[in-house]
Amino acid sequence: MLELFKLLGNKRLFVLLVGLVTFIALMGFTLSPRANLSWPEKFLKDSVGFVQYVFYKPASYVAGFFKDVANMRAVYEENEELRIAMGHYTRDRLKYNDLEQKNKQLEQALNFTKEQQNRYNYGSRIAQVISANSDPNSRTINIDIGENAGIKPGMAVTSQEGLVGVISHVSSYTSTVNLLTSMDANDPTSNAIAATAVGKEKVFGMIESYDPKSGMLKMTKIAEDSNIAKGDEIISSGIINNFPKYMRIGEVKSVEKSEYGLTQTATIKPYANFLDWKELIVIIPPEVKQ
Amino acid sequence: MVTRKQVLFLLLFILFIAEDTILPQIIPSAWQMRISANLVYIVILFFAVYYHRHTALVLGILFGLLHDVVFYGEMIGPYGFSMGLSAYMMGLIFQAPRAPMPIMVSVVLLGSLLNDTMLFFLYKLFQLNHVTFDWALIEYMIPNLFVHFVFTLIIYVPLRKQLEKIGTPKSKADEAS
Repeated sequence: MLELFKLLGNKRLFVLLVGLVTFIALMGFTLSPRANLSWPEKFLKDSVGFVQYVFYKPASYVAGFFKDVANMRAVYEENEELRIAMGHYTRDRLKYNDLEQKNKQLEQALNFTKEQQNRYNYGSRIAQVISANSDPNSRTINIDIGENAGIKPGMAVTSQEGLVGVISHVSSYTSTVNLLTSMDANDPTSNAIAATAVGKEKVFGMIESYDPKSGMLKMTKIAEDSNIAKGDEIISSGIINNFPKYMRIGEVKSVEKSEYGLTQTATIKPYANFLDWKELIVIIPPEVKQ
Repeated sequence: MVTRKQVLFLLLFILFIAEDTILPQIIPSAWQMRISANLVYIVILFFAVYYHRHTALVLGILFGLLHDVVFYGEMIGPYGFSMGLSAYMMGLIFQAPRAPMPIMVSVVLLGSLLNDTMLFFLYKLFQLNHVTFDWALIEYMIPNLFVHFVFTLIIYVPLRKQLEKIGTPKSKADEAS
């Protein structure tokens, strides 16, 4: 050990090297997908999360008040639009109920198992955002429900507009959401989302990466002969990784041939704007019997 | 004074909380993607210059790791590492209890650039970001500098007064060198 000190000539340099190695090891270890957090992490997250919760809510009320005053004019127009949407909704609901009944009867007639029948009956839980990390390298937000509400890593999180991200780590009373903006094809930890277009069930593609420069998502591996077009509404198709179906993701902005010309690549503008967080909805898949 | 130190530490913690809860709501929506102010780090730089670099190192690692654990998205460690090391380095070069304001401002600007650069390359090392450094520099590092500059001007007088009242740890400084 002494010789090593002499070799480095300096105690400070030695400490720096040890620190460097320790931190790199820590980062490497925590980078791998971990099922559960250890108790010190949970304790820190929960206690800091509680304090953040106390701070976030009053601040969001005050900020919201000023924003509402500024948006007073827009409210009238928005109300008009919402009335029209409501009219559509009531009409569609009648149709939907009828179709659902019919579908159930058919499923029973064809002897679907319980699991098959409940596959797409997702539950949902509303969550309050308690803090937002503005680090541009990995943007995450914390929400105020965790293991106590049955949240697990990998569940999808949406806002009113559309898909926001995926739960990355859960402690007892809070959980962290990894935003779609940190999604990347080369990233060792992020998973691609299988997606399709509304009304065009044949369309299939993988949403793989987010481009921070343009603020667009990239959907790849779309078959060459599929009829995806500009303006299509993209939703998740729920084929892979138990990722829930029917999550609104975004709107197609442009479609191009991919590098090798065998598939197509679409650029998608996400519906969620990743700003001004308030309430989010966590989608909980139905229990699957092992 | 023992209690003064504790109160300062508590205020630093409150700043840490406010930075991620209140700040994102004050910043206009158009800038929210571009500004990622790290206010705690600025205060730690004040400690590095007017107090002692070892205190800054410990505070940097402490609050950096806290940030990492609370916002555990990809990995734990980059903030602890970069905030601790860059605050220590700035302290090593610029530590002077009598430093005037222009020096402190330039320390803040240099230090926050150093911190952002270090974070950028740490994430690059683990292949977690895929933008070029030029773009990151223009997109968020330089806008950040403005926010940090304004924040430095706001806290300069009160914080320096407090740090002077605490005084420099003489014995500790001798021990370290």
